[in-house]
Amino acid sequence: MIEAEIYKALGDPIRLEIVKRLSHRSPSTVGELSKNLGISRQGARKQLQVLINANVVHLKQRGRQTDVALDTKTLQIARQFITKLENQWDDRLEALKKYVEESD
Amino acid sequence: MQDTIRREITIKASKERIYEAIANPEQVTKWFPETLEGNYEVGEQPIFGFGDYGKNQICIIAAQPHEYFAYRWVPGANHFLGDVLIVPNTLVEFRIAEQADGTCLVTLTESGFANLPIELMESAFDQNSGGWDFMLSRLVKHCEAA
Repeated sequence: MIEAEIYKALGDPIRLEIVKRLSHRSPSTVGELSKNLGISRQGARKQLQVLINANVVHLKQRGRQTDVALDTKTLQIARQFITKLENQWDDRLEALKKYVEESD
Repeated sequence: MQDTIRREITIKASKERIYEAIANPEQVTKWFPETLEGNYEVGEQPIFGFGDYGKNQICIIAAQPHEYFAYRWVPGANHFLGDVLIVPNTLVEFRIAEQADGTCLVTLTESGFANLPIELMESAFDQNSGGWDFMLSRLVKHCEAA
């Protein structure tokens, strides 16, 4: 299940921060993304790999540097998943409203 | 990316009335699960029944009249019967707040999706699609009866 892998991948503050940075500027270089994360460059690289495995981001070689880009299609799928759950709760809350207001 | 779902609805009723609809076992079955087995009290693990769509055991976490009600459940299980607390689960919270115009704002949050294992999320998807159909069929029934 692709959504599950995405949520698992984002269930970590460092990885979430990487994705946030990418949402402001995609692509970024690996070096840029690794800065000020409070972990080693090697550690950042490891976290990046988790995001790559979950298809949240992908790497693109550009000359001597490596670009990291958000995989928007994958994120879109995750968005759809959440939307489905939100719709379900909307429906339930409508049922609650209807019940409460009509049984008064 | 979100770990939490948050929805709101305004209801024209007192917070006591709304709380009852959520926390009273005889009333919650009028709009949410079709049936309820076991004690619908804090610390207990009653079972929500969704007709043909299966049964889900839940664990009531908090019941604070007339503002807050919370339970944990396994969103992925079509048929989850067992100890909710020893398996990955999500926290469902209802908050009721009075507004200046006499209506109440009901806020629903469900959190913990980021920590659900893959297999569970997979079945959660099926379950929630099923739940969606179930609610629709109930709504249709309700409208036809009216």
